[in-house]
Amino acid sequence: MKKRNLVKVRNLDRLFDVSKPLLNRIIEREERKILRAVDDVSIDIEEGETFALVGESGSGKSTVAKMVVGLLPPTKGSIEIDGIDLSDKSKIKELRKLRSEIQMIFQDPFASLNPRWRVEKIIAEPIRAFKLEKNEKAVIAKVAELLTLVGLDPSDGRKFPHEFSGGQRQRICIARALASKPKFIVCDEPTSALDVSVQAQILNLMKDLQDEFSLTFLFISHDLSVVRHMANRIGVMYLGRIVEISNSKDLFENPKHPYTKMLLDAIPDLEMSGKERNPIEGEIPNPIDPPKGCTFHPRCPFVNERCRKEIPMPIEKDGSIITCHGVEEGRIGK
Amino acid sequence: MFNKIQDNIFRALNSDFIYSFKHSPVAIVSFIVALILVLGAVLAPFYAPHNPFDPATLNLMNGFSAPMKPNEFTGETFFLGTDDQGRDVFSTILYGMRISLFVGFAAVTFAMVLGVSLGLIAGYVGGWLDALIMRIADVQLTFPGILVAMLIFGIAKGFTPIDQRDQMAIWVLIIAIGLSEWVQFARVVRGATLVEKNKEYVQAARLNGRRSGGILISHILPNVLGSVLVIATISLALAIIAEATLSFLGVGAPPTKPSLGTLIRIGQGYLFSGEWWILLFPAATLLALALSVNLLGDWLRDALNPKLK
Amino acid sequence: MSEILLKIKDLIVEFPTRRGLLRAVDKVSFEISKGEVLGIVGESGAGKSLTGAAIIGLLEPPGRIGGGEIIFDGQRIDNLSDEQMRPLRGKRIAMIFQDPLTSLNPLYRIGEQLIETIQTHLSMDNKQARTRAIELLDEVGIPAPQTRIDAYPHQFSGGMRQRVVIALALAGEPDLIIADEPTTALDVSVQAQIISLLKNLCKERGTAIMLITHDMGVIAETADRMAVMYSGQIAEIGKTYDLIRNPKHPYSVGLMGSIPAIKGDVKRLVQIPGSMPRLNDIPQGCSFNPRCGKAFKPCYKKRSPLIEVGNSSVACWLYDEEYKGAKAK
Repeated sequence: MKKRNLVKVRNLDRLFDVSKPLLNRIIEREERKILRAVDDVSIDIEEGETFALVGESGSGKSTVAKMVVGLLPPTKGSIEIDGIDLSDKSKIKELRKLRSEIQMIFQDPFASLNPRWRVEKIIAEPIRAFKLEKNEKAVIAKVAELLTLVGLDPSDGRKFPHEFSGGQRQRICIARALASKPKFIVCDEPTSALDVSVQAQILNLMKDLQDEFSLTFLFISHDLSVVRHMANRIGVMYLGRIVEISNSKDLFENPKHPYTKMLLDAIPDLEMSGKERNPIEGEIPNPIDPPKGCTFHPRCPFVNERCRKEIPMPIEKDGSIITCHGVEEGRIGK
Repeated sequence: MFNKIQDNIFRALNSDFIYSFKHSPVAIVSFIVALILVLGAVLAPFYAPHNPFDPATLNLMNGFSAPMKPNEFTGETFFLGTDDQGRDVFSTILYGMRISLFVGFAAVTFAMVLGVSLGLIAGYVGGWLDALIMRIADVQLTFPGILVAMLIFGIAKGFTPIDQRDQMAIWVLIIAIGLSEWVQFARVVRGATLVEKNKEYVQAARLNGRRSGGILISHILPNVLGSVLVIATISLALAIIAEATLSFLGVGAPPTKPSLGTLIRIGQGYLFSGEWWILLFPAATLLALALSVNLLGDWLRDALNPKLK
Repeated sequence: MSEILLKIKDLIVEFPTRRGLLRAVDKVSFEISKGEVLGIVGESGAGKSLTGAAIIGLLEPPGRIGGGEIIFDGQRIDNLSDEQMRPLRGKRIAMIFQDPLTSLNPLYRIGEQLIETIQTHLSMDNKQARTRAIELLDEVGIPAPQTRIDAYPHQFSGGMRQRVVIALALAGEPDLIIADEPTTALDVSVQAQIISLLKNLCKERGTAIMLITHDMGVIAETADRMAVMYSGQIAEIGKTYDLIRNPKHPYSVGLMGSIPAIKGDVKRLVQIPGSMPRLNDIPQGCSFNPRCGKAFKPCYKKRSPLIEVGNSSVACWLYDEEYKGAKAK
């Protein structure tokens, strides 16, 4: 049985004006520079699943995350969560309720906690802001419960963030995210600043909490092995566009888009099987001035004339969504 | 409850801040000098030999007494001598320092409130409001602070009735000096706000339904206060000097209620006729006050910003 | 066994602080043979970067070498002055840092920086040095080196910049390169390119590499031997293949298990409870004992020496003859 889609993102665009100030532009005779950070992104996220966005720096995955939680307005396109459009100003009351159900866990556990606040105040912030508990006593009890839930001691609430290690801080961030009883949590590289052994603790904790509270995750990462471990479905981004969406297992066993293949080839071989790898060509082009046609074409081994001119549209194939002329024509893959 | 307080005191005494203070002789000496001067001024009414603001206690016969020498007419001895009107220099310095410090603290408070609010708003809201505030600040910076203060002083003088001018002078001084110093606060706070507002804890607060005003006051303000404290201390020294300069130029505290600057102005007239003490002692006090506060500010900046070293 | 290039014996790096002397590297010993790649893995704060900085004499004060010996090519170098160290640094031992942007001077063309480095170490006139610089850029895979040599660092992408940094490191034709997290700042696809470049260049030239990283995958791809560091000490050292396939120290076991695997569905990752102790709070005995599931009596008393087990050496009492058969309680 197919579950309902909690999050529906349609044709999302985000432009950034990265031009120099007006005066400099006039003196240096430069034109405005527009960075298309996110280009026509559509995603559906089912209730209770973990959907991951992977990509290298500049792929726009973090920008998508910020738009989905409402920290950044989209230039174009729509985001619908739990049936409510985030831009629908007529539903102020519903939107405020929805706000409390969307949370985010950030990458940097040092910057995401206010250094001057005690941990108990940090965790209580969403509870107080959304008025989720009736009185102060209930707030304090709730904070203690949350601290225990993420594997810390209730007495840790008296401390300041600098007294904790990176992993413990990330636990505090998770406790804060859970404080407003969310349905949907966006995790923006939650473990990339942590050491591997601590990363394992945090990933396990997130999986446990997902089971316990039936949470839906949008998981942003550049680390394919972490994504493989966490996600049910994966979207691969390249220069602002989604090039492939597949089931986690399919994506790793049978990647279809040439870029996905390249990414998988780049993973260091921990098994030390000694297999030969395809050498990787080139680097990500400057996103301010992306290549024409398919943005991946300068690095693609299967490139042809059409790829250089025409922007590919997403097509469905074997349960995956692929944006590639080669796959569409049957040139790539069997 | 008691344990909590004890815990906090212990933590504070053990902090890097106190450690740095204990290991900086300059900071300790400046702190002691500043403390003695400030306490000496605040407590002046309780121990000063005379009240120089009360004309009834003055005896013109006592004029120009040298320090520690009996006056040739009255036989009275004055610790630091007397001025032309027979006012005890030691007492006038104590009372003058009260005025200098009051003007200094009030001006800095005024500049701080104005500068911090404008800086927070400019940094957080951004856009045209930011541009407007910062351009006003830029224009302000192109005029020397003293000039701005004199301008305001001159305008205010035109509006005040003659009999209230002496009264008004102090308040006009405060506003004039405050207006010439808010820019420092605004610039630093704006810069710090720009850094803080992009940190993830501010984004988390936004996600948690906090409004901009709440975020500014509860999240950003506490994190920029460190740099504000440093500027406030250095500004205090500047404000005291600015006040002295204005009073010296005759546009500040009136001779009936002399500040250190007024005393120096009065004293410089007698420098070449042999009554050196009328100038020297107020000037030395001003120097000690401004220098100790300034050095304290320097140390504070290093202590709060270990990376600068 | 090939010739030993670098020998570290009981190296101690310490920091005097107001709360006492902190030992960040605690009696670390290892050897690197000529042309060998030794990987050093460990979590942040394990002391791996400090070990590298100590070897090349770039410890930031107040950090200092508190004991032990560093012997490079038969010569003791840990007690050399800055002046005496200069001919070695860059010429015989080179260093590659994590962030390529900070290792290049943004105000000079990369050619100028390369030529300066070449002329510092080799006697060449300007023309020869320029030719050599172009050769080096070509070797590290910079396209059109004849024209790119006159570009400024900001005109290169991150991966290309790291290639330039590698060319700079190779300029003095060193015997040993200390690479401190050389790929951490790079994207996955670029990382793979840089790893294979480093590996091939050193194989061709017979340059030894001490590769410091937290990324087990990078080590697996590159290193002949590897050492696992934990709170300033070596927990285990041995052939990379053995150590990755069959780790012996409980910390290495935990570390390997905590890496999410690409193949197969693992429901839960192995997790080591807790986190590495702070330097001022290192427990008595084996520093790993509070997090170790197999800790038993001797672990709380004394730190184990490196014990040879198969091809590896392990600092763990579990492998000591005396305690064979002893069980964790």
